[in-house]
Amino acid sequence: MDGTNKMPRCSSISEWIKNTLSRTLKVSNCIPKHVGFVMDGNRRYARKNEMEIKEGHEAGFESMSRVLELCYESGVTTATVFAFSIENFNRSAREVDLLMKLAREKIRQIAEHGEMAQRYGIRIRVIGDLSLLPKNVLKSIEETTELTKANSRGTLNICFPYTGREEIFHSIKKSIEIATDSQTITESMIEQHLYTGELPQLDLLIRTSGVTRLSDFMLWQVSNKGVVIELFDCLWPEFGPMNMAWSLLKFAFRKYFSVKDNKLEEDYDEEDEEQEDSVDNREAYSVKKNM
Amino acid sequence: MGTFESKGAMRRTAPPEASVMNGTEGKYSKLKALQALIGSLFSGKSDAGESLGNEENKTFWKKQKSKIQYSIYKVLLVTLYLVYGCYRYCQYEWNKMKIRMLNIIYNPSNTPQLIRQDVTKLEKIPKRLAAILEMKSESHVGGGSQGLMNDGSEIVCWTVSAGIKHLVLYDYDGVLKKNVQDFRKDIRNKLSKYFGTSHIPKYAVRIPHLNKIYFNDKDSSSTENHKVAIEISLLSNRDGRETIVDLTRTMADLCASKELKLGDITMSLVDKELVHLVGPEPDLLLYFGPCLDLQGFPPWHIRLTELHWEEDNHDVIYSVFIRGLQKYATCKINVGK
Repeated sequence: MDGTNKMPRCSSISEWIKNTLSRTLKVSNCIPKHVGFVMDGNRRYARKNEMEIKEGHEAGFESMSRVLELCYESGVTTATVFAFSIENFNRSAREVDLLMKLAREKIRQIAEHGEMAQRYGIRIRVIGDLSLLPKNVLKSIEETTELTKANSRGTLNICFPYTGREEIFHSIKKSIEIATDSQTITESMIEQHLYTGELPQLDLLIRTSGVTRLSDFMLWQVSNKGVVIELFDCLWPEFGPMNMAWSLLKFAFRKYFSVKDNKLEEDYDEEDEEQEDSVDNREAYSVKKNM
Repeated sequence: MGTFESKGAMRRTAPPEASVMNGTEGKYSKLKALQALIGSLFSGKSDAGESLGNEENKTFWKKQKSKIQYSIYKVLLVTLYLVYGCYRYCQYEWNKMKIRMLNIIYNPSNTPQLIRQDVTKLEKIPKRLAAILEMKSESHVGGGSQGLMNDGSEIVCWTVSAGIKHLVLYDYDGVLKKNVQDFRKDIRNKLSKYFGTSHIPKYAVRIPHLNKIYFNDKDSSSTENHKVAIEISLLSNRDGRETIVDLTRTMADLCASKELKLGDITMSLVDKELVHLVGPEPDLLLYFGPCLDLQGFPPWHIRLTELHWEEDNHDVIYSVFIRGLQKYATCKINVGK
């Protein structure tokens, strides 16, 4: 009896902490608008914990929804997750099938009544080279996209199956197709035709499992000046809302003080410790500013 | 008002924490969080008080509450900032100390043999190395274009000593490209410091954007022996997105004049052209700044590139270089698997 009572109590306390944290972060007004995730490490997690690969991927999905909830709650409007790379088709047929099935299930689940899409008013988009997908998966994707089309408070881009180079290539081709005169092709035109074209610029990229590569994810967007790249050593299913809150806090802190840098010096004398800190921050940003 | 009342009713039936969980809609969410807070503190007493109050009172309280809530969150935020600030200060000092220690451990002291020794221990080394350089302000020590060229030539020496044949130097504004003649002299001077004036390794400086190549520090007209120990490509922001735009325009022109069909444009064609225009993808990218910012580095060329930088480091130092190589030696790339 005690045990069963305790469990929901615990989870609701952590839920409460999560909500308070995200609202606190929201009032900072320095939250990234667009966050990208490379969700790496599901299979390694499964191996580490002696689970089946399927369970690893499921744990990864759980982790994703928890992290995204915190993001949307704290004011992030757009999130892009790397779910499946075009290169992943090279995996064993069994695993590809499994991933397709799982994706179909989960994409549907997100849009279900009372789930994330509805709760946060999020539009679900599936981006990438959709022509590579099997028919039945494509059908559920279309249904979900249609169902959440009208939601306007936020966007979730699921990259499935996607590579950054394919995205650039796709945009190049589209631009050539549309342009009447080659001189009308500009950088912004190519940017517009990327899958993330009309969405806010990427501000923060998060990658897990300690790999320091982009692995063909949002190449065009990440190479932009000023995008913050955060790498975590933990595997994706271990990456929780707390890690996310941490990186959002880090982002907000940096942004807040780097904006202040450009203002008058008088703004600094608020609190002693804060001042001490902003000195160190000023140092960190002087390089950036003086570029 | 209706929504407010119905929310109140819901709260009475559900436990306070649960209402926080449900409370996710718009501005009501904050309100409900506080309601739940108060609710859990006074366990139901506040409910009675609220439902008794008339409508005007309620709107007044609603406004007050959201104001109070806002301030509570602000205070919380400042506390978080303070805590994080303290942590960050310690982290900054720690990182600085770490870098100082590393500088003592890895000190090339202008001798290629020492670098060679460090590198021969490694299992594999990158074929192509890239580095992003930043120009510091003139007032800094080692700032200005002179400082940048000095840093660049230093990296050239390390790369030659490590036995890597290709080096890409990227700076956003293209300062190195503009001062290529001075830069070549700088490289020569630095190399002679490392290898002695009689054994200066042969080098070539390439500017892909202008389609120019300079051999050693003489003028490029001499076409005698073109075997070089290192080829240095100078890139800037121009070689990134703008080059992709240029390529798109060229292909659009070709399509318009029916020399190229739209269907003929494939990934491998684009890749081939971009390799031709900019160069192949580097295996390892070093960044000598405090936290990674790719600053418009050619996007097509960082697909599987290993990235390395040291947190809170501001200088071009050997320890970043060698630790980058060490990291590359241990990493495993398996595309898609």
